[in-house]
Amino acid sequence: MKTPLFQPAAPLPTATVSDFIATLAVILAAIVGLILFDTALAKVDAVERKTYAAREFAAGERSLTDGKIEEAIEHLRTASTLDGENTAYGVALGQAILADGRPREAEQLLLPLLERYERNGSANLALARVMAKEGRLKEAKSYYHSSIYGVWPTGENGRTAARFELIDLLARANAKEELLAELLPIQDDSTNDLAQRKRIAHLFVVAGSPARAVVIFREILRRDSKDADAFVGLAEAALSLGDFGTARTDLLAAQKLMPEDSTTLKPLMALTDSVISLDPTQNGLSLPEQVRRSRNLAQMTLTSVRKCLRMQAPQVAVALDSATLLLVSGAAVGQAQSVEQNLSLAEQLWGLQRSRCAPDHANGALALIHGRIAQ
Amino acid sequence: MAAIKIRALPARLVRMVEDLRRKEDRLNLLLSLVIGALVGLVVVAFILLTGRLTALMYPAGAAGWRRIVVPTAGALVTGYLLFKYFPLARGSGIPQTRAALFIHDGRISLRSAVGKFVCTAISLASGIPLGREGPAVYIGSGIASVIARRLGLSRAQIRSLIPVGGAAALAAAFNTPIAAVLFSLEEIIGDLHAPVLGSIVLASAAAWMVLHLILGDSPLFHVPEFHLVSPGELGAYVVLGIVGGLSSVAFVKILLWLRARFAKMPRASLWIQPVAGGLTVGILGFFVPQVLGVGYDQVERVLNGDVILKVVVTLAVLKILATSVAYASGNAGGVFGPSLFIGSMVGATVGSVAHLLFPAGTAGPGSYALVGMGTAFAGIIRTPLTSVIMMFEVTRDYTIIVPLIISNLIAYYISQKLQKEPIYMALARQDGLHLPTRSSRTYPEVLLVSSATREVPESLSPLMKISDAAERVKDSALESWPVADDLGLVGMVRTRHIAHALDQGRVDMTIERLMQIARRSESDNSVDLPHVHNDQPLSRALARMRDNGHNVLPVVSRANARIMLGIVTLPDILKTFGVESVDELDYRDHPDL
Repeated sequence: MKTPLFQPAAPLPTATVSDFIATLAVILAAIVGLILFDTALAKVDAVERKTYAAREFAAGERSLTDGKIEEAIEHLRTASTLDGENTAYGVALGQAILADGRPREAEQLLLPLLERYERNGSANLALARVMAKEGRLKEAKSYYHSSIYGVWPTGENGRTAARFELIDLLARANAKEELLAELLPIQDDSTNDLAQRKRIAHLFVVAGSPARAVVIFREILRRDSKDADAFVGLAEAALSLGDFGTARTDLLAAQKLMPEDSTTLKPLMALTDSVISLDPTQNGLSLPEQVRRSRNLAQMTLTSVRKCLRMQAPQVAVALDSATLLLVSGAAVGQAQSVEQNLSLAEQLWGLQRSRCAPDHANGALALIHGRIAQ
Repeated sequence: MAAIKIRALPARLVRMVEDLRRKEDRLNLLLSLVIGALVGLVVVAFILLTGRLTALMYPAGAAGWRRIVVPTAGALVTGYLLFKYFPLARGSGIPQTRAALFIHDGRISLRSAVGKFVCTAISLASGIPLGREGPAVYIGSGIASVIARRLGLSRAQIRSLIPVGGAAALAAAFNTPIAAVLFSLEEIIGDLHAPVLGSIVLASAAAWMVLHLILGDSPLFHVPEFHLVSPGELGAYVVLGIVGGLSSVAFVKILLWLRARFAKMPRASLWIQPVAGGLTVGILGFFVPQVLGVGYDQVERVLNGDVILKVVVTLAVLKILATSVAYASGNAGGVFGPSLFIGSMVGATVGSVAHLLFPAGTAGPGSYALVGMGTAFAGIIRTPLTSVIMMFEVTRDYTIIVPLIISNLIAYYISQKLQKEPIYMALARQDGLHLPTRSSRTYPEVLLVSSATREVPESLSPLMKISDAAERVKDSALESWPVADDLGLVGMVRTRHIAHALDQGRVDMTIERLMQIARRSESDNSVDLPHVHNDQPLSRALARMRDNGHNVLPVVSRANARIMLGIVTLPDILKTFGVESVDELDYRDHPDL
């Protein structure tokens, strides 16, 4: 067998060298030409798609305004499909689907959007709303934070709206510490926006920091001493601080400025009068009056606790019965001791109420008096 | 100096080009990149032009009558063009590409490729519900074929560039470069171990890069995150596999049946036949506009959970019908895209039902639509590996793999059982083409070295003198003898070298010395220890004999190449293949060996 010593060279193709070079040149020219052609065509295509998408988006927004949610979803979906890069379309679609009562679907739509645009403020805000709607507060708070610290190319209004939505959520959830943490960074913001300042000050009261609210309301009054809302706010703060007398004075000042207003002032005035008449720690009360008021407070607290706990835990009823006995017997040696005893009992019962029962607006006066006693 | 350079440049260029043409590897590398880029650009132009044309034919807020008139008119125009000028541009393009590869030495004319481009663009833009991927593969392969022929390449080289162009086109058309490579190997060539893998990968990557440069990094579908809510949900994916498999079989059978009916019509009606498809599509599209076109926007909506059970069931059924009629009647366009549409609708249907029955234990219908796409692809196109990788590329989500594999394999199995011939094969057969199947291209009855191995003859010792060795081998017909020491095989020595040494009177020379001289001599280019293993094919033994010039090779252990298990000789190999040379001596007749 003949052994080949080397691999024979591949046969040269039949085209001449000049044919070969010419063909390569034509291919290169075609590539360059196609790049130019494709790029121009792609630009035209992109512009037309974007225009069409913008038209559909506008139609969707109009339908939303008219309350035609199904129709709006159709338009917004088309806009979102045509221009997937525009997050506003995707976000608007998610919001519309949420408004249609389909939070799971809205979530599925918004999650991939957020995967692509992790720091997008409006997408995070939309998903926070979905989570809030689904009652997933922890996740909602997280998305609200991402929204607040995210990117808002359209301006700062969205960021502020996101923060206030979070604040409202926290206020509704009675998460006072978190609420305070959200309010502190913005307490000096919007110094020219009076409504916003009042809202922030009011929220400080809700967050359990009425002293900060007082500072803001006083500052508002320094600018305009006839601002009735500021007086009302001051009264609320004073109530929270346990300064019931001041609260009444502020409310009277407000009443002078807006005598016809009954919706805001009347209930507040009634509450203030109620706490003033009930407060056993008020200065200048005689000892028998202190005994009477403290006994009354303990009795009211016991009634409130009984109302709440009877349904929840019948076994607590026994303990409550002994507390009743204690009140009825008036076992204290002296009046001063009796006041102490009554207040101590009321405080313990209130502690029980707070730990076991949901907050009840009907107990507003009791809460304020116990707040003052705790101070 | 400059003048010298200018005069010298053409000569140098000529040398460079000649050098390039001689070195096949380099030329393939260059051509893969060039073809990949060019095909990518052409396919991008194809996608964009089709889109612009569609926008022209169906402007926003257009009247309903357009949905009947445009597909009918489009089918009429393309029907005439196909009949008169581009007869090879009908249908998908995948069977035609395979025919070019296996029958026509890789020849696809420029006219056919251009015809495919024009007719498919008109057809798709007019709302015919066929896909762009198959035609793109044909166009890509056509471009590769034209370039290769213009460059004067050999037939083998032209053939090897066909799948390269096809892969590049698919990578650009579907934005899935890895799936494009696999599709080229699995479907076009029908061999996952094809030696052109490197070129295909390069071309696919080049085309994909072009697509991204021009159209940006936007995936074909924006899909939500895939969710497998519970392991029990895999049961629902089994159901999806079954339903997907059955739907695939139904689609393929309806399409083939209709196509056979159209084929029986008079040849003179060929130009008008597509109109039947166009009109059917138009009537269906008038009532259900989503039937028109390839429908990827509708697929995206379903993937994103916009699913109404009644709508997706209707769309699945109507799309099967519309696509079958449109394809069978001879319109230009493929079944790749419709497969995905049908799959997504079937998946959404199964997903909706599953979610209705087990809302807490199953994901939304969008996830099922996603898996359904792969399932239908596996069932219709019958490329299970490509379908898994393709869906993985579309979602870029690893969690989809398990349910996808389950559904795909079930659909593939059902499809194989109920429809023996894969769709492209059946289409080619209807056209009278007998293309090789994957199974016909594999050789399970490969003959192994073990079938021709004979016992080891007594080896020569390296220290043996030439005179003794000559005495030992004198009556043997073996052309080479194994040389072994205490540790095992050392090498092979040629009988003629021993005889030559003896003739020269070097009787005291050792075999070891003789082997050293032989190795140094220019005429012996053998490796140190030429050998084969028992489990290797006989073709490998033949190739090794050719490379080393030995007609006898030792068969050695894979654990230790110095342990000899036997020898294999050229006459034995020929005899095993059933070719007995009269010139060759049958060693078995010589017991002295």
